[in-house]
Amino acid sequence: MSESASDVPRLPAADVAAKGSVRSSRFLGRLLRQRSLLIWGTVVGIIALSAVLAPLLSPFDPDTGVLADSFAPPSTEHWLGADRYGRDVLTRVLYGGQVALLAAVQAVAIALGIGVPAGLAIGYAGGWLDRILMRLVDGVMSVPFLVLAIAVIAALGPGLHNAMAVVGIVYAMSVLRLVRGEVLSAKEELYVDGLKVSGAGGPRILFRHILNNIAPPIIVQATLMFATAIVAEATLSYLGLGVTQPTASWGSMLSEAQATIRQNFFLAVPPGIAIFITVLGINQVGEGLRDLFSREITVGRLGLNVVRKTRPTASEREIFAGEPDQPSALEVRDLSVSFPQAGGQRVQVVQNVDLRLRRGELLCLVGESGSGKSVTAMSMLGLVSHPGVVTASSVRLGDEEISGLDFKAMRSIRGNRIGVVFQDPLASLNPTFTVGNQMCEAIMEHRDVPRREARRLTIDLFERVGIPNPELRLDDYPFQFSGGMAQRVMIAMALSCDPEVLVADEPTTALDVTVQKQILDLLVGLRDERGLSILLITHDLGVVAEVGDTVATMYAGQIVESGPVAEVFAQPRHPYTQGLLDSIPRNVAPAGALPSIRGTVPQPIDWPVGCRFADRCDFATDACRRSPVPLAPTVDPGHSTRCVRVDELRLTGIGDEQSQVVAVLSRASGRDGVA
Amino acid sequence: MRNVVIRLLTMIPLVLLVVSGTFFLSLASNVDPAEIILGGNATQEQIDALRQQLGLDRPALEQYWTWLSGLLQGDLGTSLYTGASVTDLFLAALPVTLSLTAGGLVVGVVLGVGAGLFASVVAGTRLDRGVILLSTMGQAAPSFFVGMLIIYFLALQLGWFPATGYVSPADSFGGWLHSLALPSIALGVGVAAALSRQARSSMITALQQDYTRTALSKGHSRRRVVLKHAGRNAASPVVTSISFQVAQLLGGAIVVERLFALPGLGSLTIDAVLRYDPNIIQAVVLFAVVVIVLVNLLVDVSYVWLNPKVRTT
Repeated sequence: MSESASDVPRLPAADVAAKGSVRSSRFLGRLLRQRSLLIWGTVVGIIALSAVLAPLLSPFDPDTGVLADSFAPPSTEHWLGADRYGRDVLTRVLYGGQVALLAAVQAVAIALGIGVPAGLAIGYAGGWLDRILMRLVDGVMSVPFLVLAIAVIAALGPGLHNAMAVVGIVYAMSVLRLVRGEVLSAKEELYVDGLKVSGAGGPRILFRHILNNIAPPIIVQATLMFATAIVAEATLSYLGLGVTQPTASWGSMLSEAQATIRQNFFLAVPPGIAIFITVLGINQVGEGLRDLFSREITVGRLGLNVVRKTRPTASEREIFAGEPDQPSALEVRDLSVSFPQAGGQRVQVVQNVDLRLRRGELLCLVGESGSGKSVTAMSMLGLVSHPGVVTASSVRLGDEEISGLDFKAMRSIRGNRIGVVFQDPLASLNPTFTVGNQMCEAIMEHRDVPRREARRLTIDLFERVGIPNPELRLDDYPFQFSGGMAQRVMIAMALSCDPEVLVADEPTTALDVTVQKQILDLLVGLRDERGLSILLITHDLGVVAEVGDTVATMYAGQIVESGPVAEVFAQPRHPYTQGLLDSIPRNVAPAGALPSIRGTVPQPIDWPVGCRFADRCDFATDACRRSPVPLAPTVDPGHSTRCVRVDELRLTGIGDEQSQVVAVLSRASGRDGVA
Repeated sequence: MRNVVIRLLTMIPLVLLVVSGTFFLSLASNVDPAEIILGGNATQEQIDALRQQLGLDRPALEQYWTWLSGLLQGDLGTSLYTGASVTDLFLAALPVTLSLTAGGLVVGVVLGVGAGLFASVVAGTRLDRGVILLSTMGQAAPSFFVGMLIIYFLALQLGWFPATGYVSPADSFGGWLHSLALPSIALGVGVAAALSRQARSSMITALQQDYTRTALSKGHSRRRVVLKHAGRNAASPVVTSISFQVAQLLGGAIVVERLFALPGLGSLTIDAVLRYDPNIIQAVVLFAVVVIVLVNLLVDVSYVWLNPKVRTT
């Protein structure tokens, strides 16, 4: 065996066993939580058992009846009545269950017996054999399977076993496809892992790996095939191509009931319900198994959540005191966002955020991922997705209060008075429409202009944001643009209705370093020439130094420090801001690795009661952990911080002169300062 | 356009393969049509004479060649049982089956896509769970049971629709629609159930994409965001699953025609199987394969329309 292969299983046995038991106990826990799986499993079990035990449960013969009992209504003797020939209906339903289950077992056994080995072999062999056989499989699968079954029955003569064999072979094709696909991807995966697949142990390793991966989907598919096989049996027997008279099958019982539907409709009900409940039950078991094996998928809804207006909290602080009295473009008070947690309680991911963006100013909101900065920005616009709840005592756009506005009223603000630019431009533009279409749509939503005029405005905007040949690019699709050009399109779209405020959520993160600079220059240019107020969300303090007027640092859903950029950089008042500043690369003598803040932002559910940063802070004391820390003004005008020890600590910033900082940081920007 | 022609040409081997397979399957059968036609009392001489008359005594390849060259000229052979031209029988039954399949498709697509769209917008609520429950039930109820229920309640009890029979649109257009209503519902319920799931899940996926958030950030109405921005992106997988459903519909039509006594290809097929008439069965298999091939082609064309990336590359 090669070295790399022998390295793999060298985990201590006890460790592996422990891991295995953790996994299986978690699996058991999930199984128990899947109540519907258990319930439906029981239902299916009872149906199967009563079919198997039919001779014990019923005193009647399923195939012969007493003519005197013809069409007998339900009674204590015949619980479900008797059919035209006086045969007990309940007995026939039970025996029909036997036929259905046996037929389904046969079909599924054939499907797995042929499909799994054939899929493994074809996938492993690959090459021309694979190609030819897969074409053949496509051919067989292209014929509706009932038509195929009928063609085969026509040749071999009616009979349930022939019919179910055909059903099994058709199912085998889809099993084969599944297994083959899995083999191909496993081959790829193992190759990438550097595991040696050649040599004696090769196929064995490969097949074990594949069988482990493939067991869950195969189990699910086999379950669902079982259900459709039962329907197939009933269908063929209904058509007279399955069981032969007088054998009871749910399908043939329905066929007989149809003949006498005018005299006695009730005869159709027991076999119909039997099929319905059995198939429903098996399908539910299959779906339950699928959920059990797959990771839970959260179902989100259209991202719409208006800001609910709350009364100002008693502890409201005047953090803007002492600031130069300049009109606000956007001002937020007490903004909180909460999401429901498993178990019913809600957890606040953004807590009592106050923000003030002055007119013509560029405010940077910084923090690590998970600090809540994007959610803060999206929540003001009502763009937080469904289970989230947004509250604020006030959101003012210019002189207008916009918290408490409903979806319809917010429509005239979104895209019109507030433009938004997102992180990943290629994902944020709709791939199925031309950029011109998406631009004109935005303009025509808010301006009463004809399409031609909208196109002309679009061309002007494209020119302004630096897209070459705007007339030609208008009819291109987003994927025909580079990342940087697509972001220019996004910016043009955000500007299309001449908004007062632009919210830019990490607009340069997904872009190349050289392009980042161009996009930032574009934003600064727009601020300077149009007096646009910009809220820029970023994790990159290099960007802040370069373009920001004011900065607000966010940590664990709270603003921990805010103030003018020059001041905060020169003299940070919160250890978290200092940590962020320290981790920017700058031109001092290299002294080992760049310092970084230890640990990561904890999950909202784990946020401590006291200072949320305390566990990662070098200066934390017991006082920090005792009670929530308020955001309080510092001695410097317009500079506030959320630190207990603000008066004792002397934190170090970067240089004294902002110009120097900018010079240093311009070179550094683009490299990941914080992440 | 060139691509379409090329696609059509590459489909020919597939059609030929399936059809030839069916032909040789019927030759390999141990059922002798001559015996069946003449019944149990026939002498061996009579059987041999009939075999010779029907050409069943010739070598397999020769029979195949005769059949295939006939097929290429649009001649599907004759019914061994009645001697009637299979082409004539087929063409007489075709409009019934096409009407029924189209009806089932309309019911399935309108109900299924509508319900799926609705469920995606209210995902996670009681209404959503209600739609899921209905579609689960729809998938579990076989068409002939659903059909019997609606025959009993809507036709026999309430008398709103005829219980059985087919009216040609040439005779009465209203009567045609009336006669197709119940069969189309019986056929379409299962399709609707399957499509609603696909439509719901692909809409939910589309609604969670970044471009949906962008559309909202532009101040568009919910309707525009859901139908235009998310809908266009969610359409491809739904169209694919509609094409799978066409195969289901063709199979299901056989059952529903029998239930509602409609003189379509399904009834023709069942009769052919029960009295052993291989030429008719081959014609039906051929028809099914050609329909499926054409539907797949249509789906490919629709991708080009739905997905600009395919169009421009």
